[in-house]
Amino acid sequence: MKFHRINALLLKYYYITINRVDRLFDIIYWPILDLFIWGFTALFIQKLSDVNVLSMLLGAVILWVFVWRASQDIAVFVLEDFWSRNLYHLFTSPVKLSEHLISIIIIGFLRALATFVLMWLVGIVFYSFNILTISPSLIAFSVLLLTIFGWAIGLFVAAFIFRFGQRIQVLAWSVTFLISPFACIFYPLSVLPDWAAKIAIVIPPTHVFESLRAMISGTPVNQAGLMYALISSILLFILMAFLLEQSFQKSRKTGLLAKGD
Amino acid sequence: MHDIEVSNLVKTFKEKGKEIIAVDNISFKVKKGEIFGLLGPNGAGKSTTINILTGLLEKDSGTAKILGYEPEKNWEYVKNNSNVATAYSWLSDVLTIRQNLRVYAKLYGVKNYEQKINELLELFELKNIADRKIIRLSSGENTRAVLCKGLINNPKVLFLDECTVGLDPDIADKTRGIIKDYQQEKDCTIIFTSHYMFEVEELCDRIAFMSNGKIISIDTSFNLKKLIKKHTVEIAVKKDIRLLKEFLKTEDVEIIFEKDNSIVFEVTTEKDKMYKVISKIFHKGFMLSNLHVKGPTLDDIFIKIARQK
Repeated sequence: MKFHRINALLLKYYYITINRVDRLFDIIYWPILDLFIWGFTALFIQKLSDVNVLSMLLGAVILWVFVWRASQDIAVFVLEDFWSRNLYHLFTSPVKLSEHLISIIIIGFLRALATFVLMWLVGIVFYSFNILTISPSLIAFSVLLLTIFGWAIGLFVAAFIFRFGQRIQVLAWSVTFLISPFACIFYPLSVLPDWAAKIAIVIPPTHVFESLRAMISGTPVNQAGLMYALISSILLFILMAFLLEQSFQKSRKTGLLAKGD
Repeated sequence: MHDIEVSNLVKTFKEKGKEIIAVDNISFKVKKGEIFGLLGPNGAGKSTTINILTGLLEKDSGTAKILGYEPEKNWEYVKNNSNVATAYSWLSDVLTIRQNLRVYAKLYGVKNYEQKINELLELFELKNIADRKIIRLSSGENTRAVLCKGLINNPKVLFLDECTVGLDPDIADKTRGIIKDYQQEKDCTIIFTSHYMFEVEELCDRIAFMSNGKIISIDTSFNLKKLIKKHTVEIAVKKDIRLLKEFLKTEDVEIIFEKDNSIVFEVTTEKDKMYKVISKIFHKGFMLSNLHVKGPTLDDIFIKIARQK
């Protein structure tokens, strides 16, 4: 693995980010829009309840960005090379798949961090909500855990893109949304029906958002749940990295990499 | 010393349950500093061969060595010292030419890359549009941008897959000049594919004709043209065209067409037949106003091989 190649790809993704308005929209427009919608919803619900709904909802929206960005950026930046028929040149260069992924992971994390900072500031200015006052250590741990989980989802989608080409590109935008109802982002696990709760309990982000709500409402945080979430996210990440490697090799065999479509 | 050695290379694809042989047990060697042409009709296996050599495609069996190494075992060395240009694959289309070249220069670990980029932009006459996005380029400009990328790392081995498609005749001519100069200056080994036979003839030291995944013949263009043992003769006479036609009918030649006072016919070059026929025409006293003899071209060879499918 060579740093200059990772650096080269980071430069490329930086250029894509500044050259394409929709890539800037990803980190500014949609998250801020989300924050306003949930912020005003929270203000309304707050009037009907004694529970600190504003902190719970805005905290969840801001943290979910790490899953969203980490997963979507991997998939979209892989797709970017398919769209511009650039895979041919990329993979005839000395770049390795691992370097390609590390660069996407880094740029994805930086973009998520930029969005986080922006949302953090908007939260303070418009809703007097500072996410860092909840518990800096829990927030840092949650960011790490959700990012690893997001990467795992992104690798899963990228594996499918390398295996089947851009005809399944809809996965890049839909997988995160498919998970979100079971991740208990905005509501507690206890409100889910049995069948949904069985799915939710195995999804790592559920434990993060449960802990966030526990911390805000002053009840004990489920440490074991968080440890399970971290370990399962790491294992999932390793498994998806392996799946991606297999798909990449398969695409070299089938010719999809050479055709780039 | 051979920079490229391919031995018993096989690649098959599966399509709707059927096995398609794209490359069928081919072998060839390319000497250091040689420009080696791969020719053949669409689907002959040229691009598949190049894709295997550049690591984009996994072979089924056989060996391929570049610069003495099997690419799978020493990708880093092979890829750092080779490069590819094709008109059918773009650089990143949301980046400008200069941004793309910076990215690829860094990927290939090029030192002082800004200077190298400026030299290439100058060479391919892209300096004025260097800050234009790829998506806004014409196909010819895009092809030249890809060629810049192909030379960014001063490759020892260069794969040029139909890299002059879309270029106007002037730029295409300059590009062939650049390729030839680069090859001579750096003693670079080049694999070159094109559907323009004249440029293959102009550039390539040897040519491999491929059809249905197999190599039909490998030789110089001069020797390959000997495969067709017929010349085309065009004769125009001031009068007596009818008599000339009747005479030709007795000489076992194939009349292709006649128009006004001229006749075009094909005659075999075996046993000096062509010279004998032309000599007889002179001796019979036909008053010629034009005589044009045309030997076989690479196009003729190409068509012959393509139609043997």
